[in-house]
Amino acid sequence: MKLLSWRRAVPQSVPQAVAFEDLALPLASSLYNIAHWLTRSSTEAEDLVQETYLKALRGFAAFEPGTNFKAWIFRILRNTYLTSRSGLAAMRTVALEDELNESSERGHHAYPESAIDRHTPETNLIVLLNRAALESAMQQLPTSLLEVILLCDVEEMKYKEIATVLDIPIGTVMSRIARARAAMRQTLQQHPNYVPESRA
Amino acid sequence: MTDHLSTATLNALADGELSADQLTSTQEHLAGCQACTSSALFQSLLKSATARAGQRYAAPQELLVRLSPQKLSKFNTRPSISPGLTTATQPQAGANTPPVRYQAVFGWAVAAALLIASLSIILVQRNQQQVAAISQAVSEISDQHIAMLASSQPLAVLSSDRHTVKPWFQGKLPFSFNLPDNLPVDTRLEGANLTYLRNQPVAQLVYSIGNHSVSVFVKPKISSNLPTNFSAESSGFHFISATTATLQFEAISDVDPKRLSQLVDILERTQIQQ
Repeated sequence: MKLLSWRRAVPQSVPQAVAFEDLALPLASSLYNIAHWLTRSSTEAEDLVQETYLKALRGFAAFEPGTNFKAWIFRILRNTYLTSRSGLAAMRTVALEDELNESSERGHHAYPESAIDRHTPETNLIVLLNRAALESAMQQLPTSLLEVILLCDVEEMKYKEIATVLDIPIGTVMSRIARARAAMRQTLQQHPNYVPESRA
Repeated sequence: MTDHLSTATLNALADGELSADQLTSTQEHLAGCQACTSSALFQSLLKSATARAGQRYAAPQELLVRLSPQKLSKFNTRPSISPGLTTATQPQAGANTPPVRYQAVFGWAVAAALLIASLSIILVQRNQQQVAAISQAVSEISDQHIAMLASSQPLAVLSSDRHTVKPWFQGKLPFSFNLPDNLPVDTRLEGANLTYLRNQPVAQLVYSIGNHSVSVFVKPKISSNLPTNFSAESSGFHFISATTATLQFEAISDVDPKRLSQLVDILERTQIQQ
């Protein structure tokens, strides 16, 4: 079994504690937001973020200064989520679907080109401004797609950073983003204000 | 085959992931293709709208307070609580000092009250330390057990034969232990892992009781805040700890606690018998 770095950590000294505070506390809101989306529960999200900070604090001595702290602590959050009860349940549910989709990506058709709207009526842009419709579309995403879209769009992480956080290849990041957006688009198409386009 | 930009290119464009060359050729294509321009606009708007909708949950103020390193350290290491409690009680003691004319009468009573209060605080602290130590142990054991259940990797040693599993640990652990020959009904040794708890290498024996997986962590007995034998429950898992003269066993599973206890008892007895 792989030993997680924060388990090997030595207790932090005072200067490290100060640096940890400077680096970690500004990310608390972002971590909580992601945790809430993933767990769908405020209580679980609070526990998840607190556990993440405890692990990060314990393992801070193992963190290399100058490297990407945000990706590091988000990875801890994600790994902690995966070992939680709701994380295990969510990942088991999508595991098979993910395997099937990612194996097909190695073949010719990575994701359907029809997922892209080549003629977007202006009225459809209004649907994008409907926050409730978007939140609903996000909530319907399976966890593996939701987490990638949260890191990409909400946290504005680069593909490389997302690959580090999720411990997956960049190609898989790209295909999951495409699948997530295609799925959201499909959900938004069911919105009453959405106008089906006619392809030229 | 289509002349339009691919989904990957449109996504990479919206995400700012195109290289300079790719961006130039994409922009050239967009200049002459209304359909792709429309798609790119939609992708870009979808991204920014998702970003706004995704910023949905604000962290509660109490959580932000709890996340300061001082608070986390207090939660993590109990000894740091002691000075805080001591200093917090001192002003109260001073404030409760009776007026001078009553000192002769109430002096001993105040001293006795302070003594009782101090003893109570010590007892509460010890209890808190023990509860925290148990909570930390259960949390760490649960993490390891759940990680083992979730892992797609097979166990490091896969065998139901105790004469295969025990020798596998030779040279890997600074201690040895015995494995029972006769297990309770429907209980089977599945294998073992070498893992780490509190920075120490330990043996993780994996048993099955019916369809339930059981992890038993075997490690040398060390002095700690933990009681020698105790049981606990966490997130639906049952946790039992038992010690012999030299070893400590920590077992976790979602199986019936009585059956888990039977297995731990047998392991405990085996160390004495052999």
